[in-house]
Amino acid sequence: MSLLIGVAGCFFSVTAFAILLETPKSYLIHAGGVGAVGGFVYLLGTKNELGVVFSSFLSVLAIAFLAHLFARIFKEPVTVFLIAGILPTVPGAGMYRTAYYLIQNDSEKSGYYLLQTLEIAGVIALAIFIMDTLFKIVGKREKKV
Amino acid sequence: MDYKLVIRTAVLAGELMLLSGAETYRVEDTMNHILKTAHTKTAEALVFRTGILATIDNPDIEPVTMMRRVKNSGTNLNRIMQVNDISRKYCAGEMPLKEAYERLGGIQKKQYKTGIYNLATLIIPAGFAPLFGGQMPEILLSAAMGALLALIITVGKRWNVNGFILDTVSSFMVAAAVFLLGAKISGVDLDIVIISAIMPLVPGVAITNAVRDILQGDYMSGNARVLEAFLTAAGIAIGAGAGMWIAGVIIAGGVR
Repeated sequence: MSLLIGVAGCFFSVTAFAILLETPKSYLIHAGGVGAVGGFVYLLGTKNELGVVFSSFLSVLAIAFLAHLFARIFKEPVTVFLIAGILPTVPGAGMYRTAYYLIQNDSEKSGYYLLQTLEIAGVIALAIFIMDTLFKIVGKREKKV
Repeated sequence: MDYKLVIRTAVLAGELMLLSGAETYRVEDTMNHILKTAHTKTAEALVFRTGILATIDNPDIEPVTMMRRVKNSGTNLNRIMQVNDISRKYCAGEMPLKEAYERLGGIQKKQYKTGIYNLATLIIPAGFAPLFGGQMPEILLSAAMGALLALIITVGKRWNVNGFILDTVSSFMVAAAVFLLGAKISGVDLDIVIISAIMPLVPGVAITNAVRDILQGDYMSGNARVLEAFLTAAGIAIGAGAGMWIAGVIIAGGVR
C-alpha cells in the first residue's frame, strides 16, 4: 500500500516538476510516467534492502531506458523525458543534509551525506551513460539493416 | 555566404540553450553544426557555464570571432526543444539562414500561467512526502508548505530578488512554519515535512548536469555547476537552520 502511494506521489510530483522545467504540455504525462517507474524501482530496491546507492542506480537505468524509448518514438531530445524523471532519485535532499549538518557542526554526519550525495550523483551519471551507449549501438545496427 | 550572420545565429542558438540549462557538450554540438554550414576551413565553438566563444576563418575572409557572457537562469526544456528543431531544419537545408535567425530571436519564454506554476510548487512537496516515508499528516502539512513556498516565490520573483537570497528566505520561512505548526500537532515527523517542502528548491538538475559535464570532459563547466549546486544547497540549509532556531526561541517563550 505504501509502495502504491509512493509511486503515485512520484507521478504527481514529477509531472509538477516537468511544469516548472517548462516541458511542453503534450509530454507532461510521459515525464510523470517515467518518474513513477523510477520511483517504483527505487522503492522496491530500498524495501528489499539493496541500499540507497544501488537502488538509485537501478532506478536511473529504468528511467534512462524509458526516456530513450520515448525520445525514439516521439523524435524529441532525450533530456525532455530524462531530467524531470530522475528528480526523485537525484540527491537534492542529500545535498541539503550535507550543508545542514555542516552548519550544525556535526562533521561526521555531514561527511556521510556528502559521500552519499557524490556516490548517488556518480551512479546516476553511470546509469545514463550505459543507456546512452546501448542505444547508440542499437541505433547504428538499425541504420545498417 | 554571410559569415557574420552564420556566427550570429550559432551564438544566439548557443546562448538560448545555455540559458535553458542544456548540457555543455550539447550546446557546443549544436553551435558546431550551425557553424559548419558556412563551409569554412576553421569553425570552432567553445562553451563555458558562464559564456560562449565562436570563431570562423577562411583564406579569403578576415577571421570572425564572437563572444557572449551568459547569465544563469534555470531550466527551460521547451526552449531547448525549439532551438533544437530550428537548428536541425536549418542544417538540413529546409530553412534559410535569415529565417532561422529570426525564429531563434522570437522563441517564447514561458508557456504556462503563473497559477499553474504555483499549483505545481504545491504538488511537488505533497508528492515527495511518501517517498521519504511520510503518511497522510506529513503529506497534508507538506502541501500546506508548498502553498507557502509558492506565495514566497511569486512575491520574490515580482520584486526581482536574487536567487540565492530567495532560496534562503524561502527555506527559512518554511522551516520556521513547520516547527511552529509542528509544536501544535503531535505525531508528525517534522524532518520529513521539511525535506519534502524544500524539494522544489534543491539543485537536483544542477548536480546531475555537473556530473554529466565532468564525465564528458567539460571540467570548467562541471566545476561551475558543482559550485552552483553546493551554493544553492548551502543557502537552503542556512535558511532552514535559522528558521528552526527562531521557531525554537519563539516556542521556548523568547530569549531569556
